[in-house]
Amino acid sequence: MKRPDLIIEKILKKPVTDHVVVCYGKSETHHIRFSNNSVNRENLFKLEEEVKVEVGYDGRIGSYRTNDLSEDGVTHAVKKAYEAAKLLPKDPEYMPPVTNEEAQAIKHFKPAFGELSDGKKYGILRDAFRELKKAGLNSAGSLSTNPYTVEVYNNKGVRVSHNNCYSTFALTAMTGNSSFKDFHVSKDFSDYDGEAFLANIIGNARLSADPASLEAGKYTVVLGPPAVEELLMMFLWHNMDAKAIDEGRTAFSKRPGERIADEAIHIYSKPDHEKVSLSPFSPEDAMPYIGFDMIRNGKLARPWHSRFYAAKKGVQATGKFPANVIFKGTDKPAGKLVSNVENGLYVNSFWYIRLVDLMDGIFTGMTRDGVFRIKDGKLAGSVNNFRFNQSVFDLFHNTAEIGKEKEMIYTSIPPITVRDFNFVSKTEF
Amino acid sequence: MDNLREIISYLAGKKVRFADAREHLFREREITTEDTRVEQITEQNVSGVGIKALWENGWGYASTSRTDPAALRKTADKALALAKSADKSAAGAVELAGEPRHTAKFSTTIKEDPFDVKVSDAVGVLLQAGETILKGKDVIKAGSYLVFRNMKKKYANTEGSVIETDVFTVLPQIEATARAGGEVKTRHYWPAPMNAGYEYFRGIDFKTNAERIAAQAREHCFARSCETGTATLILDPEHLSLTMHESVGHPTELDRVLGYEESCAGRSFATMEKLNNFKYGSEIVNFIADNTLEGGLASCGYDDEGVECRKWHMIKNGILTGYGVNRELAHRMKMERANGTTRAAKYCDVPITRIPNLYLAPGAKPLSVEELIADTDDGIYIEGMGSFSIDQMRLNMQFGGDAFWEIKKGKLTGMLKNVVYNAISYEFWRSCDAIADERSFKRAGFITCGKGDPMQLAQMTHGASPARFRKIMVRRAK
Repeated sequence: MKRPDLIIEKILKKPVTDHVVVCYGKSETHHIRFSNNSVNRENLFKLEEEVKVEVGYDGRIGSYRTNDLSEDGVTHAVKKAYEAAKLLPKDPEYMPPVTNEEAQAIKHFKPAFGELSDGKKYGILRDAFRELKKAGLNSAGSLSTNPYTVEVYNNKGVRVSHNNCYSTFALTAMTGNSSFKDFHVSKDFSDYDGEAFLANIIGNARLSADPASLEAGKYTVVLGPPAVEELLMMFLWHNMDAKAIDEGRTAFSKRPGERIADEAIHIYSKPDHEKVSLSPFSPEDAMPYIGFDMIRNGKLARPWHSRFYAAKKGVQATGKFPANVIFKGTDKPAGKLVSNVENGLYVNSFWYIRLVDLMDGIFTGMTRDGVFRIKDGKLAGSVNNFRFNQSVFDLFHNTAEIGKEKEMIYTSIPPITVRDFNFVSKTEF
Repeated sequence: MDNLREIISYLAGKKVRFADAREHLFREREITTEDTRVEQITEQNVSGVGIKALWENGWGYASTSRTDPAALRKTADKALALAKSADKSAAGAVELAGEPRHTAKFSTTIKEDPFDVKVSDAVGVLLQAGETILKGKDVIKAGSYLVFRNMKKKYANTEGSVIETDVFTVLPQIEATARAGGEVKTRHYWPAPMNAGYEYFRGIDFKTNAERIAAQAREHCFARSCETGTATLILDPEHLSLTMHESVGHPTELDRVLGYEESCAGRSFATMEKLNNFKYGSEIVNFIADNTLEGGLASCGYDDEGVECRKWHMIKNGILTGYGVNRELAHRMKMERANGTTRAAKYCDVPITRIPNLYLAPGAKPLSVEELIADTDDGIYIEGMGSFSIDQMRLNMQFGGDAFWEIKKGKLTGMLKNVVYNAISYEFWRSCDAIADERSFKRAGFITCGKGDPMQLAQMTHGASPARFRKIMVRRAK
């Protein structure tokens, strides 16, 4: 079979219209899932290769995805996208393909990563199972490596590609009545320190055992990076679209120019961040991701602009979603934040966060995999899990201290200390 | 099918304990509209083969989008190599429940293939609904989402089963957003998603419902806030589909109970020692799992382990009586066969236990929804799905809704807003004191139920008649 790039080039030599975009994606995932200190049946390898073809016709766009990468397959995709476009009404938000001039702004970067052998992957797991068993703990989680390629071609001459990889090792350690979870995100595990990683998990899992009963209420909390990430991303997802803000449909609509956060909070995007940027351009159309501030100096700095809406407003497009999200941290480790809290709680992560009230940015969710009491600046045993109903604006205003960033797949987020975090009920464990 | 038989024979020759191969051909047409424009329309056609091998006590799974013999052999070799690696960490013996050898075909009964209908037909219907919605007073946004799916599968295993299935799915929805009185509220119309053909979409009355949701979105903006405290709730079938999904469907997946999902979707409070003795709900609460339900989203004839789909009681007269069980875990239940509810989303996904079609049986005594409301002195009637969240053991749950009405002296007296209720799941079902009869039974369901790692999205139908719950903690959301 011909290489996909040659087939795509052949098709673009004689485009069916003046708007043909072909996005190619390839990923090779080796994902090993485990539970009860043993690899389970989600021990899988998958090679996925797809093209998505977009054809514009007189202000209309049709698209078609296929993993038939033969010449006939890609030609068929073009035909189907073209047929669909012709049947649609004109789109008032139609945008032509990205030009070479626009694509020149892409800040390319080449992340370094090597191949991780099966021996090393299963070795990491065997070490974890052995150490957790030795500590009398049960385990569950996954280890995966995900190298991938994204390429975008169009009939205006744009040709961009990016190779990247993320690897994750997520490990939950369980006692009979509690759990603690941590993860290591890396390009290829060359930076993985198994001894330190396992010692931290084992120590915290032991500390989580036999959670004491504690009533819900407002507490000073230190939120671990995963907890901050989960809540922040849900908030941004619902509220940052510039068009929705202008149309009065997000929480920012009723807070124009208002102070919405403590001055220390700085949330931004940096597309050439080698560790937490998945691609320097949009895999949908090759539009460059840009660096920009989202929240700075206590205010909304700028929301997210799609290409269409940016053109309408005369601003630079950020993309419907940015390259990544970075919450600027400090050099303080989480332990330092804990040491500054006299009486409060440490929350490792959240679970099942959902919107409760859009216009006031209120979300609900549960704590999970590690809730510890803080007394006199020290972790002092675990407590039951809680449900929260929390305004993110209140959280932004009540942020008392910010710690050191932890890099995750798409984000870099610090732990934070928050006053008056609103827990409304507890659960049975 | 010959390519699958051949690769199964190849793996049998390698002395695997068990192997199966599944070929998927997945077609999907997805349309999203915003006001009177098409926001996005995507069609996809994705196919491939997934091969699963069991070596001693280790599983391996590998997939490919290519179906030529060389690609399949390479994929089979990879699955076997992974299984051998996994076997080295195996903590226990894998025992697979028996299943008769099937040579079978199953297909959804349809009159009109959605993929034979021009896309402009459905787009026209959705944009017309958008126009109708936008005529509503104070309406600022109209939207719709429509999915047509067709999944063709072929399956073969080392036990000799050879199965072909062909399933069509339709999911339509529209929504209206109004801004008035300092509030922004969205109201939805979700016709039940069904395994059906285009004729089902043609039969939906979008116009009447577009007018209704536009008016109710605005009315919601002017509603008064609920009070915080315990209340009686009457929940409509659409709303109940979500509560049962989260608090009954997921807790009764046996793989979750036994810790297989601990790291992602979580575990379950409904542990095995509770089987046949735990009071999960009041005596009138009966939950029936039925993957043979005509038009049900999980009705596929045979699941992705080659097990024939079945019907069973999950909860009978309020007592926990069953689980969703795969072939690997059936022996833990002393079951001779799994119950046919193990599915994979795509060819590259490993089949895992999924929630079956699951419904709350209608009340046995004659009772209309009007009579149920008339019999309620003080309460809240909730329609549709809103905010929803539950802990990873499926105990502490909080739900909102799409629309809320106050009930006073047996009558709906006006809309409420900012309603969320919070309960421990089994206490919630124990507080159920009335269920309307089969006349008001309605279906609902989902095509985006997330589970597994890597995450897979599955589909299943739920259903209920409106039901009443006493002494539920209601909170004003803000």
